[in-house]
Amino acid sequence: MKTLLKPSDIARDADRLCHIEPGDLAPLPPPYEDFNQRALTPLALEKIRNVEASLDDTVAIGIPRPASREEEDALVLQFLTGLKKLFEKENNWTFLQPLLLSMEHCARCQTCAAACPIYEMSGHQEIYRPIFRSEVLRRIYRKYLTPGGKLTAKLTGDIDLNWATIARLAELSYRCTLCRRCAMVCPIGVDNGLITHEIRKLFSQEMGIAPKEIHDKGTIQHLKVGSTTGMTAAAAKDSVEFIQEEMEEITGYKVDIPWDVEGADILLLHNAGEMLAWPENVGAFAIILQAAGLSWTMSSEAAGYDAVNYGLWYDDIQFSRVAVRHADIARRLKVKKIVIGECGHAHKALTVIADRLLSGDLNIPRESAMVTLENIVMSGKLKFNPRKNNFPVTLHDPCNVVRAMGIVEPQRRILRKLAPHFREMTPHGVENYCCGGGSGFAIMSGYNFAEWRNLISSRKKFLQILKAFENEPQDIPKYVCAPCSNCKGAIRDIIGYYDAEERSHLYYGGLVELIVNALDGMKKSIIRFGDKPSWE
Amino acid sequence: MGYFVLTYFCIAVFIIAAGCLIYRHLTLPLHVRWEIYPVRHETAPRNVYGGSYMENVDWWKRPYETSRLNEFKYMVPEILLLRGLRKENKSLWYVSFPFHMGLYLMTATLILMLLNAGVTLWGLPSFAAGGAFRPLMDHLIAVAGWAGLIAGTIGNLGLLYRRLTDRDLKNYSTFSDYANLSIILLFFLIASLAALSGDPFLDGAKAYVLGLLTAGKTGGAYAPGQTVAGALTIVMASLLVAYIPLTHMSHMFMKYFLYHSVKWDDVPNRPGTPIESAAMRNLQYKPTWQAKHIGADGQKSWRDIASSDPKEKK
Repeated sequence: MKTLLKPSDIARDADRLCHIEPGDLAPLPPPYEDFNQRALTPLALEKIRNVEASLDDTVAIGIPRPASREEEDALVLQFLTGLKKLFEKENNWTFLQPLLLSMEHCARCQTCAAACPIYEMSGHQEIYRPIFRSEVLRRIYRKYLTPGGKLTAKLTGDIDLNWATIARLAELSYRCTLCRRCAMVCPIGVDNGLITHEIRKLFSQEMGIAPKEIHDKGTIQHLKVGSTTGMTAAAAKDSVEFIQEEMEEITGYKVDIPWDVEGADILLLHNAGEMLAWPENVGAFAIILQAAGLSWTMSSEAAGYDAVNYGLWYDDIQFSRVAVRHADIARRLKVKKIVIGECGHAHKALTVIADRLLSGDLNIPRESAMVTLENIVMSGKLKFNPRKNNFPVTLHDPCNVVRAMGIVEPQRRILRKLAPHFREMTPHGVENYCCGGGSGFAIMSGYNFAEWRNLISSRKKFLQILKAFENEPQDIPKYVCAPCSNCKGAIRDIIGYYDAEERSHLYYGGLVELIVNALDGMKKSIIRFGDKPSWE
Repeated sequence: MGYFVLTYFCIAVFIIAAGCLIYRHLTLPLHVRWEIYPVRHETAPRNVYGGSYMENVDWWKRPYETSRLNEFKYMVPEILLLRGLRKENKSLWYVSFPFHMGLYLMTATLILMLLNAGVTLWGLPSFAAGGAFRPLMDHLIAVAGWAGLIAGTIGNLGLLYRRLTDRDLKNYSTFSDYANLSIILLFFLIASLAALSGDPFLDGAKAYVLGLLTAGKTGGAYAPGQTVAGALTIVMASLLVAYIPLTHMSHMFMKYFLYHSVKWDDVPNRPGTPIESAAMRNLQYKPTWQAKHIGADGQKSWRDIASSDPKEKK
């Protein structure tokens, strides 16, 4: 039996704290046994020579190594300054109370551990246990920032603070998808996901340390260029023009996607990644809204055509900036409400988390597209032929839509009406498992991080999908409905990584595609299993 | 009198420490919403599957409604039976449940003893010796007390055993975790000893509680220190009362905030409400985060910073 790592081991002098051996991971069923002996591709030495990589077999951030002991000490001090700020209302009014409660009341009963898919799928690697990183932070806080902490540390849990502790803790905060399943099951209500979120914030807001995909190419680019995809407004309009043409091919009539219509009832916010990776999703929305005769618009203002808000995952200030930008665009367009497309974190960001940031005329009502779509589908305005969705369908619940917002049934009522072979995953609804791409993981692929995601953080979801379809013949196509861009990205990657299109005929897509696929009067199907669409 | 002084002092520590904890949480700034569904005060039928009011079209046009009954239906078994732990971590529940039940029953015993002291001081004849309700009160106190001592001792021993032998629990247990359990166990054991040594109806404890209400001036009040076990029980119980709010065991009352102020806090920000006022106050705070992209200088407010673009990348 392996020696258990303790939270204090995070300060240990070692090249690597945790290594996953082939065969450690939770086993996959047939026909995927050949993946059971697979381990992560070792990090190329030349790539990690100058970055911190002493936590495990992957790297999410790539923190440059300090050049000297003095620099290390300065960074440790900077960390402590930032940690102190997490407990000050001026700096962290946003999460101060939840953080204090979670820091002070954990009974270390380990109920959270069984709920964590990363911990379970990794073969119970100790560093991925939900309370491991929380306990590290707790011990540092108690020892270094509370009166008499150094004296009482031996009684309440000791830890050394050095550069290794800090660098590993930063990396470790990106081994949790913030799905908050652990918080849901905690009998006391302690939230390890929140503590992880706060660790990320400390590093970003005080030390300027964050993965480049969510900061440099994420919120910074979003605010500067207009989209995290790097698309300018002109490029977005070009994409949409192309999507309109494609949709006309499918529907047989002209599809108009309106831009910047002042006074429209609805401002529809899409994750701009949809325009590039899944244009049929943007097109399907347009078909439905147009066919239902709704008054709606998209915005071509910078950030207005991209609903994402990566700040949600790591930085309250960046989060606030993006949220204010979105709300201000809606205010100036004088729309009655914002409807958020199939993007889970954008749902939570703008509807729930930004709720107490947006006051006065910025407090524009926000609604989930699941709700808007259900209203349309059930209204009788559109005619459907559910038999066109004559294939097995299962539903992935995006954590941010379901567990964080309680939007559980609208999407199900649509599927029960339009997908005759719909079946649930186990568990589902608010007890769902994360796709493995949450909190930015779906877009993070530096070093071998994408492989870590496919092998570990998405593994539980892959098992769930296989289980949902286990009684179906191998050779018929099966559809995983994932009404969230990040989740779709993660599911696309697991299907690709495990060769699941070939082995299990697994396909994936959004909810609107299923709705349009069942619409009466379409010239062509929008869901074409295996056939490459024209935009690829 | 020294025993009474110790008990009064410990009760004062409890009140002050718990009061400080509660006061701090009542005066913290309003935080952003961070609820997790299921939110148990949701109205039917969404309460069944964990849905929210945001499942309604134009939800902001409807009144914000909660169901106290649904909340109650969840919280009562959660508090009394530890339903969440039973569902998610059954092997620990087998020892944690009797431990908590022991503490609840000891609290119930204390409340009954206070009631008993109250009616004695009031001089109600039906509760006097030979009165109609006297046997009922005596038996209730004895049953609650004994059941609490037995359940608490078993659960406490079980929890200690699990912490000492379970690999995962042991790995994260600190001296203070063992100390917390040991102190409570010591109380259960000493109190059991005091009861077993000739006081099965806990008359000594009843008399002591009566004495507490009158600072020992009532005739017939227990004179502490008659037995070593009795004296130690008073000391241990008093210290325990003072000790609990100073440790993470304060979750016994702070759980209210963990649930109601975070996990289930889904109150939307509507124009003209206290939530909106609090949100606007928060935006006046002046952060001092040092990363360059933040652009904080201690002078600019959250509102200023949130309405500006980052000047630098890092």
